[in-house]
Amino acid sequence: MKRILPILLGATLGLLAATSAFAIERGGAMTFARYDGSTVIDPVYADRNPDLWMVNGLYETLLRNGPDGSIVPGLAEAHEVSADGKTITLTLRSGLKFSDGSELTGADVVFSLDRARNPDLGPWAGLLGAVDKVTADGNKITVSLKNPDPTIISILATFNTGIVPKAAFEKAAGATDQEKARAFFAAGPVTSGPFVMKSHVQGTSMTFVRNPHYWRQGEDGKPLPYLDQVEFVVIPDDATRILKLQAGEVDAAEFIPFARVGELSADPNLKMELFPSTRIVYAPINTRETKKDGSKNPLADIKVRQALNYATDKNVLIKLVTFDTGKPMTSLMSAATQLHYGPAPLYPYDPEKAKQLLSEAGLGSGFDVKFTTLAGSADDATLFTALQQMWAPLGVNLKVEQVDNPTRGEKNRSGDFDIHTYGWANDVNDPAQVTGWLGYYKQRQAVGTGWNNQEFNTLFEASNVEPDPAKRKDEYKRMQEIYAAEAPLLFLFETPFAVAVSKSIEGYVQTPLGANDFSEAWRAD
Amino acid sequence: MPSLSYLVARLLQIIPTFLLVMIFIFLLVRLLPGDPAIAMAEAKATDAQLEQIRHNLGLDQPLPVQFLVFVKNTLTGDLGRSIMLKAPVTEIILDRLPTTIFLALYSIVLAVFLAGPLAFLAASRVNSSVDVAIRGVFQVGLSMPVFYIGLLLLTVLAAQLRWFPVGGYGKTFLANLYHLILPALSVALYTSAIILRNLRASLIEVLDADYVQFARAKGLSPRIIMTRHVLRNAMVSTVTLLGLSIGNLMSGTLVTETVFAIPGVGRLMLEAIFARDYPLIQGLTLTFAVLVSVVFLLTDVVQSWLDPRLRQS
Repeated sequence: MKRILPILLGATLGLLAATSAFAIERGGAMTFARYDGSTVIDPVYADRNPDLWMVNGLYETLLRNGPDGSIVPGLAEAHEVSADGKTITLTLRSGLKFSDGSELTGADVVFSLDRARNPDLGPWAGLLGAVDKVTADGNKITVSLKNPDPTIISILATFNTGIVPKAAFEKAAGATDQEKARAFFAAGPVTSGPFVMKSHVQGTSMTFVRNPHYWRQGEDGKPLPYLDQVEFVVIPDDATRILKLQAGEVDAAEFIPFARVGELSADPNLKMELFPSTRIVYAPINTRETKKDGSKNPLADIKVRQALNYATDKNVLIKLVTFDTGKPMTSLMSAATQLHYGPAPLYPYDPEKAKQLLSEAGLGSGFDVKFTTLAGSADDATLFTALQQMWAPLGVNLKVEQVDNPTRGEKNRSGDFDIHTYGWANDVNDPAQVTGWLGYYKQRQAVGTGWNNQEFNTLFEASNVEPDPAKRKDEYKRMQEIYAAEAPLLFLFETPFAVAVSKSIEGYVQTPLGANDFSEAWRAD
Repeated sequence: MPSLSYLVARLLQIIPTFLLVMIFIFLLVRLLPGDPAIAMAEAKATDAQLEQIRHNLGLDQPLPVQFLVFVKNTLTGDLGRSIMLKAPVTEIILDRLPTTIFLALYSIVLAVFLAGPLAFLAASRVNSSVDVAIRGVFQVGLSMPVFYIGLLLLTVLAAQLRWFPVGGYGKTFLANLYHLILPALSVALYTSAIILRNLRASLIEVLDADYVQFARAKGLSPRIIMTRHVLRNAMVSTVTLLGLSIGNLMSGTLVTETVFAIPGVGRLMLEAIFARDYPLIQGLTLTFAVLVSVVFLLTDVVQSWLDPRLRQS
């Protein structure tokens, strides 16, 4: 008996400890180190990632993206699409309030959606291009469309349709909507999301505090968020941001360079989080018949593009650049995107096949290719040297050209390049955005490649007004097959979002779309 | 002290400098490939959206029209709105400038206090082991890039020993003295290496000069020889060097502010260039031009006070 007692006691204590480790604790604050600061966090004007990835912290949307990527209820507890696909009816929850305690009504929803779709205001209005009219009757919201738009449900869960308080916004100083937006934000805006902005020092720091009127419940049955406060500090330099975390001055640091992931995973005080993302790294190939200087472009030949893809050992690149955190692309879009179709990694390494394709194209004796890299980017430098070595046996002489980011953008837009790298992350939980960007000629000449495939273009146009989800899925499957075969890109890899978080913080998430979600974060110590 | 007419003449010289700076910077930023619309749309805008953005920013106007607008606005004290930060340029610069000036002054003070006494020590014992050691250490400081010194200081003194915070900026004067000591030190190490080398050389030269020998022969006290004859003469070229190093200091803060996450105009300039934020780049360049002109003017004034021969020309 004397021996059993301590064991029992120990077991009980152990159980207690175990349960308390799983019980969520409320209160407290966390500090988060960012790579860049926000300017104006407004659903309509946010045009840089540091702004738009913060919008959902302040403004709630009618619908939300669930953790598994499905659309779940938000401020609207139910939504229904009419049989012809042209009317969406949403029901607002009852008792919704803004952070100042004022009631959130249909008028606020109409105001917010009308702002979001006004092409004279922000850059995202096109996402709501199909909307004809938004009306409210009590807690019933009706969105009428000019034509069926299968993306609209996802757009109602996208940051740019966050709900802003009409009365408070209109009271803000300024003559134009843009001036009002800035004044409204600067004064610490009235919000509908989990947090309220308490202070903001441009380029230095920002503080979010708990919105006491937020609607969503936590696991303990009380309203979210759990934390009382989230403090943001801006540390642009990667090495300094990590030092700040290691010194214990901050609780989390975002955008950890992949080269440091291994080291931080081994740190006993930290959790190295690799959040699944929609981010892809790819290299557009100029597919035009002639280059900008008028000379013949060998990359216009589909066989040459396929050959370069086969000659690229993606697994080696993934090891070199992402330190094994990435995975090969299986489609034009990341595997985390809705309607993704890609049974296997595209173009597995096969130098023999590459050689054969090149000789079929009549280029067995080799040719020159220019690779445009971002000056100062270690990743691009690594990619260039690796590709140069991989392609040299085929007689492909890879030359480098270093430019800065806007120059690269200009070259892409004017078709003045052979191959360069680009990154992309979806902003919308729907495949239309990435597919239009990478493949639809009329939007951006298929990400500047000049690739103009009639079948693909027709499918894309049809899929954008396709009310039947099954048919739309088929259209997307076909588009992804065409794109993979035609290879207007060098398919590289998908990468996660790498955030290092202190062991005492639980529940922080960076979503596949990049958004920072602190609504369910809590402090365990 | 220099005469009033001399000062006025020097001030008038600043006007054509500014005009040239305005023309150059206006053309230079527009010669860079890519424009604010491309940089701002994070590459996601369609071609039609880009045209809309360019139109909204007035970038579809002919260059001479854009230039006239720029000059007219600048003369009325309006530097336009930053495209990247969506706020008036004047407001942003006034907000960030004090930080950079504080950092620059802080590092100059540190540099002078570091280099001054050591230069005396080295010059008074030329080629001794002390001299060689001092020169050696500072030679290393001179050859290391500022960002590297910064990272070393951060890793050792801040992250490991935890004596100082890892980057950031304080809210009060004293807090800033504490927060900014590592960035100021990393800029100062470089500047002090230049000062040390120059001051040591001039001290050696002056200590050996005939008038110092004569002063010694007259039986003047070493203290008076030092302050009245040696120091004053040896400092002329060092002051020039300090004035000229303002350019270095500015580019130093550009890098240091990024490494240490300090919200000053140096880091802002870097961000503005990457965003092709024309109004902000123009505003910052004009600010730098004013700063450099003022520092050069001050240098001239101090020099002509130190060296009366300069006043006649």
